[in-house]
Amino acid sequence: MSPRLRRAVFLLACVCLLPAFAHVASTMPAFGAHPLPYGDLINAVGVRERHVTNMVSAINFDYRGFDTLGEEFMMLCAVTGTTILLRGTRGETQDRPQRVPGREIRPRADATVLICRLLAGFTVLFGLYVLLHAMTTPGGGFQGGVIIASGLLLAFLGEGYRGWRHVAHSELFDAAEGGGAALYALCGFASMLMGLPFLQNMLPLGKSGDLFSGGLMLVENAGVGLAVAGGFGILLLEFLEETREPEPVQEDE
Amino acid sequence: MSGLIAVLFLLVAATGTIVALSRVPRHQVIAMAANGLALSLLFMALQAPDVAFAELAAGTAAIPLLFLVVLASIRTDLITERVERPAPGETPPVQKP
Repeated sequence: MSPRLRRAVFLLACVCLLPAFAHVASTMPAFGAHPLPYGDLINAVGVRERHVTNMVSAINFDYRGFDTLGEEFMMLCAVTGTTILLRGTRGETQDRPQRVPGREIRPRADATVLICRLLAGFTVLFGLYVLLHAMTTPGGGFQGGVIIASGLLLAFLGEGYRGWRHVAHSELFDAAEGGGAALYALCGFASMLMGLPFLQNMLPLGKSGDLFSGGLMLVENAGVGLAVAGGFGILLLEFLEETREPEPVQEDE
Repeated sequence: MSGLIAVLFLLVAATGTIVALSRVPRHQVIAMAANGLALSLLFMALQAPDVAFAELAAGTAAIPLLFLVVLASIRTDLITERVERPAPGETPPVQKP
């Protein structure tokens, strides 16, 4: 297909789709309007029913907690799949960066090292803060876990591959990822053990606005935080392995 | 407030256009990170801080890094011979490892 013909087909498609687009655009709800009652309802009853002030957490871990369990295991599958695909050429013990001949490797600037050293700890701390305050302020297990993982990434940017391998241990990440997902699922089974529906909150809800309010939601949030921090850690580890030269293959035959 | 949102919408559109128009993959990754940053600012202005956090950490830090690592590990120096595409109906030649 020549570029000219392709452009003609594109314009023809545009002309055909334009009336439909105009119709949808003209009947859309106004900007900022939310016609569905779900959000208003949750905002109205959430604090009274669940004793938490962050309604997003109340939905994620309680009202729609079962959906989060599904997402949790989707992430586990995605991380497992990536690890299986990338594990073929690992260069774990190789310290030499893989490089294309002729491409120069510039040393890190001192400013980069300094900024990364300063920020890495604070970023992990901030991630923990976001994780712990899931029930009271915006954020939660997922956000906190991802922020912790990006703090780990600063260790690589500042200290280089060797420093990164010094803090990043795959056993720790594996345990966090699997253990976090298991913790979430076990919360559901704990409810069933007490004769309640799956994932029904059976712990005391506490005082709303308190750091440790929310009962079972706190445990589920910790599970999600562990799993996300571990999962992103595994991904970073596996991808950063790809920057090393692969180990020479042992020929046994 | 609506002025701020309008500016952020324009910023998202501008950075998104830069992502689409970038031709060098390395530049495109950085443009994508800038687009993620603009998006997270927009989410923040629209009072969705949860989404803004996730977008900031995943879209601005994690995903661009993974793309950069993939770009770094592509061994362009190993491509020495042109791969000939077999004609339809013809069996492709067996490649010796």
